[in-house]
Amino acid sequence: MSKKPQTVTGVATTGAVSRVELTWTPLPWEPLIDHYRVYALPTTGRHAKPDETHLVGKTVYPRFVHHGLDPAGEAFRYVIVAVSDAGRRGRPSSAVVGESQASVTATGRELARIGEFDGKSLELRFSPAEYGQIPKAYPTAVIDYVQGVDTPGEAWPYLLPGPGDAWAGRKTYRTRWTVPLDAAPQRDVDLALWFVDTTRLGGRLDVAVNGQDVRSVELAKGATRGSREGDATLPGSTLVRSGHEFALPAGALTAGENVVEFTLAEGGWVAWDALGLYERRS
Amino acid sequence: MSSPSPTLSRRRLLGLSGASAAVLALGVNAPDVASADPLPHRENLFGLGVASGYPREDGAVLWTRLAPEPLAEDGHGGMPLRSAPVKWEVSETRDFRRIVKRGTALAQPELAHSVHPRVEGLKAATDYFYRFSVGPQKSPVGRFRTLPAAGAATERFTVGMISCQAWYHGHFAAHRHLAQEEDLDLTIFLGDYIYEYGITAANLWRQGAEVTPAHAVEIETLEQYRLRYALTKSDPHLQALHARAAAVAIWDDHEVQNDYVGAASSTGIPAELFAHRIAVAYRAFYENLPVDIDALPQGPESDILAGLEVGSLARITLMDTRQFRDAPPVDEADRVREDRTMLGAAQERWVTERLRTSQSRWNVLAGGVVLAPITDDRTDQWDGYPAARRRLLAEMRRAGNAVMLTGDIHKHVAAELRGEAAGLPAGPAGVELVTTSAASDGDGAKTDKYTPDWVQHDYVRHYDGRRGYLHLRFTPEQLTSSFWIVPWVESDDTAPKELSARFTTPAGTSRLIED
Repeated sequence: MSKKPQTVTGVATTGAVSRVELTWTPLPWEPLIDHYRVYALPTTGRHAKPDETHLVGKTVYPRFVHHGLDPAGEAFRYVIVAVSDAGRRGRPSSAVVGESQASVTATGRELARIGEFDGKSLELRFSPAEYGQIPKAYPTAVIDYVQGVDTPGEAWPYLLPGPGDAWAGRKTYRTRWTVPLDAAPQRDVDLALWFVDTTRLGGRLDVAVNGQDVRSVELAKGATRGSREGDATLPGSTLVRSGHEFALPAGALTAGENVVEFTLAEGGWVAWDALGLYERRS
Repeated sequence: MSSPSPTLSRRRLLGLSGASAAVLALGVNAPDVASADPLPHRENLFGLGVASGYPREDGAVLWTRLAPEPLAEDGHGGMPLRSAPVKWEVSETRDFRRIVKRGTALAQPELAHSVHPRVEGLKAATDYFYRFSVGPQKSPVGRFRTLPAAGAATERFTVGMISCQAWYHGHFAAHRHLAQEEDLDLTIFLGDYIYEYGITAANLWRQGAEVTPAHAVEIETLEQYRLRYALTKSDPHLQALHARAAAVAIWDDHEVQNDYVGAASSTGIPAELFAHRIAVAYRAFYENLPVDIDALPQGPESDILAGLEVGSLARITLMDTRQFRDAPPVDEADRVREDRTMLGAAQERWVTERLRTSQSRWNVLAGGVVLAPITDDRTDQWDGYPAARRRLLAEMRRAGNAVMLTGDIHKHVAAELRGEAAGLPAGPAGVELVTTSAASDGDGAKTDKYTPDWVQHDYVRHYDGRRGYLHLRFTPEQLTSSFWIVPWVESDDTAPKELSARFTTPAGTSRLIED
């Protein structure tokens, strides 16, 4: 019988909106590691030992992303256990606390939103796999959506294609999101953009508000699977979720109609989870 | 521990740590453990069948994997996490009254309770039967035929070709028919023995089949790869095919991940992470196929190259067209770069050497992807490596009577390989025989949207988009290639076989003459 796997060391956490990324030092090739088991324990009860009720995932990689955390922010004590090819388990690693960041979707007052921030694109048009319909439905590569008039299932395609997408004609697609407001916001406004996946090309998404450029978002390299799968919350999903939340310039939004434009200037498509505008509460 | 089998490569053993070397050796030969603690009685220990592989003139590798509950979700097949001795015996007769060799190997949890003994000392060009036993339980009986002696005149050698076994897309009617072929000396699995995709209602076209949620996600861990092999190998027709004749196997991409290239994932997983997935995927390949010990990976590196000498009739060279290839081209200038490689420098030298030194009538190469020029955008095939193709075709032409065997595309294709189509001086360079998928893509149709890309070339002599297998008959005078199809695979496993086309390639011609 081969020896037990070594104890995992070097566990580090990085918090982001609704998720915590964990990394650790990979173990040697001998014995071969079947997988690492990732346990998330409450931060209270510091001496509690991990059991299978705390298991949040298994991974072959020395990296794991704990998704789907409370948008208001959530913390856990993480413990990693290695399992060898022979089914033997190593000792649990030292516990390391990781905390997700609070999202404006939880802390702010919603002004407008398209879709649900739930790790799924399923409520959006053509999801989960009819991407071939998008260039037919939008031959000019422009997508218009009016808040309060249109609905996500009928007017917001789940993908925004980019110039890297041969199937969509290698065009630079643009969306114009019209947001009517009764009054100008009194406080800072944040824009939340969540994606269930992006392509292996990554890319750049330019954001403009009422004709003013406000941000170029660098798109993470994703799994290129969100064009065919719409639910990143399934256990073992290979979709690579990403999110971007940032403040708009003061005064960017005004009373009346506002137009928020997204232009996929470089790279491949983004698969939307949801997007929204949120006014800070204080 | 007793001395390992003399067939173990000293190079491999010396390169491994002590624990790994011991595990490796005992999985092949463990004469001193026959009296070890017996296993608690379990029914159906041989639920994944038996297999033999990599025949030589004096023997072959025997394989089984103990799995009383093949679909146990921890990947250990329902076995306790302890070792168990497995006895094997080889007989000249099916009733085992003339046993000529016997031995013991140790089924260990490190290798998912697989064993890979290599039996040696047998007579050349002879049929043998084998079986395993654990306590009173005996396995099904398998058979293999040793290769003819080196240089011996050989009247005929028959080969079956199988590729692309997406279990969830259909029943294995093709395997059933191939297992029943009157003549079958060797089965070559041309790649995509398993598929890594999650199995859901959207792609489970194999009617009557059900899977648990454990199968619904893309596989990444060793337990998941082991489980996927178990699911695939639980098919009785695949088991029957393995029991029918010795097999060899090369991989394509789905044994790890769709379209991965060398160390690079196709979905953006960083190479330093993806190496861990390659390591467990290659390990599971070793555990589940009757391969020689050199195919046991060390970390994320493995050696599945192998050569078979079929008397004076054929030299068969099994290539790895996935692990050592250059990245997909970034543009046309990159695609046509002279130094682009499909095989990597070391493998290319090895293949060249085998072609240049061959004294066999037929020079057979087996690879995972199509060699013939089809369209420049098929960059996962040799179309993405045109300079490397020119080099290989030049060597095939020089060797003469060259035959390339491939799969991957889920279509039957027969092509005459011509120098002028690949940037070489005009003239024949060999033939390529592409076997369709056994199940991938479901029922299919004779022609489909891809047909025009292929049949636009006059050197593509046949195309059929249905499921099936290829049967080859080599003689000193000619090669006969029979492209068999089954009209359906999704509804059940009862489809009859139908001949899609049969070609004769007279020795010395590099032509495909349809019967």
